Amino acid sequence: MISGIDAMRGVGQTRAKGFWADAWGRVLKRNGARFGLFWISLIAFFAIFAPLIANSHPWMIEQIGAGGEVTSRSWPLLANLTATDWLLLLGVFVGAPWILIGPRSLTRSQRTGMFVVAAIQAGVIVVLAPMLIEWASESLRAPWLKEIARGNNGGWPIAAVISLGAACVAAWIPSVDSLWKRVASALAVAAISGTISVTAGGATLINYERYMDNEASGKIRCVWAPIPWSPLYTRSDMVAAPPGAMVEELPNLESWKGTPFGKRFFIMGTDALGGDVLAQMLWACRLSISIGLVSTGLSVLIGVTIGAIMGYFGGWIDLLLFRIVEIFMAVPVLFLLIVAAGVLPRNTYMMMAIIGMFSWTGAARFTRAEFMKLRKQEFVQAAQAVGLPLRAILFRHMLPNGVTPVLVDASFSIAAAISIEATLSYLGLGPDGQASWGKLLSSATASTGTFVWWLAVFPGLAIFLSVLSYNMLGEALRDAIDPKLRKAAH
Amino acid sequence: MVFMLLALAPGGIGASMQAAGGQGNTTGIAQQQAYLEDRYGLSDPVIVQYAKWLSSISPIKFGTRDLRMPGGERVSVPRPIPAPSLPQVFPPPAMPSVVFTPSTDESQIADFKALQRDAEGARRSYVGSVRLFRDALADVARAVGEPLVGRLDGKGGAKPNDFADVLIVLDAAQAAAAKAQSENISASSGAAPAKVASNKNGEKNLVAPSVAAQHVAQLALARVKLFDAAQSMDAKWALAEETRQRATIAFMAGPYPKSGFPIIPNLVSLDTSDFGVAFSKNRPVWDLIIEALPVTLLINLIAFPISYFIAVPTGVIASVRRGSWFDTLTGVLYLSLYSIPTVLAGVFAIGFLANNQYLGLFPVSGLHDTTADTMAFLPSTNLAGAWHCGWLLDLVWHIALPVLCLTYGSFAILSKQTRASMLDNLSADYVRTAKAKGVARNDVVVRHVFRNSLLPLITMFVGIFPAMLGGSVVVERIFSVPGMGSLILDAISNNDRDLILADTLMIAAVNVFALLLADILYAVADPRVSYE
Repeated sequence: MISGIDAMRGVGQTRAKGFWADAWGRVLKRNGARFGLFWISLIAFFAIFAPLIANSHPWMIEQIGAGGEVTSRSWPLLANLTATDWLLLLGVFVGAPWILIGPRSLTRSQRTGMFVVAAIQAGVIVVLAPMLIEWASESLRAPWLKEIARGNNGGWPIAAVISLGAACVAAWIPSVDSLWKRVASALAVAAISGTISVTAGGATLINYERYMDNEASGKIRCVWAPIPWSPLYTRSDMVAAPPGAMVEELPNLESWKGTPFGKRFFIMGTDALGGDVLAQMLWACRLSISIGLVSTGLSVLIGVTIGAIMGYFGGWIDLLLFRIVEIFMAVPVLFLLIVAAGVLPRNTYMMMAIIGMFSWTGAARFTRAEFMKLRKQEFVQAAQAVGLPLRAILFRHMLPNGVTPVLVDASFSIAAAISIEATLSYLGLGPDGQASWGKLLSSATASTGTFVWWLAVFPGLAIFLSVLSYNMLGEALRDAIDPKLRKAAH
Repeated sequence: MVFMLLALAPGGIGASMQAAGGQGNTTGIAQQQAYLEDRYGLSDPVIVQYAKWLSSISPIKFGTRDLRMPGGERVSVPRPIPAPSLPQVFPPPAMPSVVFTPSTDESQIADFKALQRDAEGARRSYVGSVRLFRDALADVARAVGEPLVGRLDGKGGAKPNDFADVLIVLDAAQAAAAKAQSENISASSGAAPAKVASNKNGEKNLVAPSVAAQHVAQLALARVKLFDAAQSMDAKWALAEETRQRATIAFMAGPYPKSGFPIIPNLVSLDTSDFGVAFSKNRPVWDLIIEALPVTLLINLIAFPISYFIAVPTGVIASVRRGSWFDTLTGVLYLSLYSIPTVLAGVFAIGFLANNQYLGLFPVSGLHDTTADTMAFLPSTNLAGAWHCGWLLDLVWHIALPVLCLTYGSFAILSKQTRASMLDNLSADYVRTAKAKGVARNDVVVRHVFRNSLLPLITMFVGIFPAMLGGSVVVERIFSVPGMGSLILDAISNNDRDLILADTLMIAAVNVFALLLADILYAVADPRVSYE
């Protein structure tokens, strides 16, 4: 029993939740949103661990000597991981725990900030390293540059450049204040990004059959990944095999008879080229997650900046910029994207950039509307009167008050970006040399006229569930944030 | 402003195409290259190219008016051909001056056609010789090696303008090679015996002089070839320009009636837009678009009302019975439908519904049966008593699946919007008043609330229509419907610049027109809205 005096003293009261905590709590109450979160984290899990789960490189090779004894061990799967793989694994096993339970003095917002900064930096490095190498090895460059990029140890100088740049950025992480911490974090970032850039060199041609042949002849013993197929490894003898198809690798060796070794299954069948569908599905998770987040991030960045300028200044600036928005709206987005994807180089980063560049109008319009409402309010006038710089007024004071519709919209844009990626890949305009759900889908209705159901159902379901997850999250977020809708819903 | 709006958006893409390496320069067919050169001026800056494209599609024309052949084909005045710029070595070829009186009798048209053919042939061979000259430049670069190879063999390719530089480097390389050769000879004759003795495989030293000699010969050959190519290029240009001038004079005599309508004589005239020729299909772009646009519009204009007719009533019912199983079910169902990308729906529909392996209920591709030309318009029975579905039903049967794939996506947005605005209005005071007056429940819902909830539905048009147009690209590809989407995908795979530009422009025009219509409807539906 709490008396009135107790209540006045605050007994039995909990601290009021902040706006975002409250909204998040409401989102989590919805079953749909919970399912969406579950599915997205599943996709994220596979995005990180797909190279360890589905790979034609064995986990471990034991060289077997003449007398049957193990002479040496090697780990080809780990040796063949790319920069992105290492970065993601390092981030999950080292970076994230350190940020979560690391230095005690950090507040929650600082931790979030560091997390975001680290993620952005990692993404930038992963994108930057291959791009820089590709740029330097173009034939138009100066010979010494080409020499560096094409040489055997080509990664090192480029890694040095990248890690230097990354260190400079790391030295300015806003939430790290003291000098030695800055130096330490800069060194750490430089070391990590350097190592990663070195491994980002071009992929060599791999002969996966070598492992199987050697294993069959008894020279080595392999410990295979759970799904012993790489997405780009194709078996020409297993074209469009139905789910559950099996290949037997070791028919001759006596000692393997009767054991499950040498039998490998295509759990979800193979595609038109003989590649394993399940492996491609898992590897494509990374594309799906990254393309949604990065392209939406880009479009929100562009849209919010332009929308903020339009809404804050109004007048002829608004008029001018809104004409640009209208120009982008005049042509249906998918048409623009198809044309852009058709004429620009086909790689993942270009795809993200294209989707981001052509779908920012929504965010711009929402931000503009919000800023138009806000700019006459007292706190903005106060900020102006104090003489704050424009940057601070726009993004420190006004943006947090007007960002909610954009955030809700962003959730739907991620869903849209995923379905756009599937569409472009289906039309044959997707990124080259990369597993993608849309590409699998497109081989379901091959030119032969037959319909291959496992190439439609599995990737189709994955696309559908991903889009649905983001849409449900968006719905839940909108209902949680918008008080008017909240009232209407109850 | 609307015109600029329309023209600017695809123009931006035209610019990006140019940046991506140019369409015509790599495709290689000389005629097409000459055509693009005439139409855009491939060596001009992007903004000039864009202005040229804009002026060709704009109905207001400047300068000499086109002529129109009896078949409606357009004949433009032959454009002057820029002379190849080969500084220093060759004197610039003299601009040929042609004095020529065209015939004016009944053979005029035949003469003009012959002259035109000649001019085109000469032009083609000139473009071909330019290519040969570039190849010769690249050969020189390969013979010289660095640093020329890096510059000329890259994506930019060798250009006639590089000639002077190449020559300087070539001279230097030849001198160096000659020097190396003489040194080698002297080395092998003088100090060679000791070296050969010290080396195990002495062939290497013996081969070296012959390699140097080879290099000298190679360089000399490349030089000769380069000069030959340059000379022939100049000669071909002179011929092309001469025939061009003849054709121009004949053109000025006016073998055909002039096209368009003059505003200021010889300066400004009014004419239909010129969208160019789609070389991948060898037909005027405009004809292709006239064929494809109605198909796309047909599919979209059927799909559009259907989605409204299904989504709006369910939205109304869901709002009236808020919280009932119907409300929940439609909410979940529509959100799921909304989450199915059109590609997915298309693949599933064609796979499971249309493919003969499974249900095989619908046709797999096209807009009509192959025998559609012979069908009666409406369903009928022939004399033998057999029933025929007729042209109309055949069409409906063919477009059922494409329309289905376009329709379902907008259910969620529409019905949710209907429900939300209905709920807003249902709790308004005037509804309570109406109820209190004793107005029948249905009348309250339909006459009062629904009428007032219409406005946001019209606004939704802005979001839905472009999405549907975009979706029709995918649907047309999946079901092989010959519409704008199939056209643009073909154009992209063939790098057909004019077709891409015109297609995007027309889609933008349709889109903007639809949005304008929505604005007008908005004003009609709500008397409070005014655009004054």
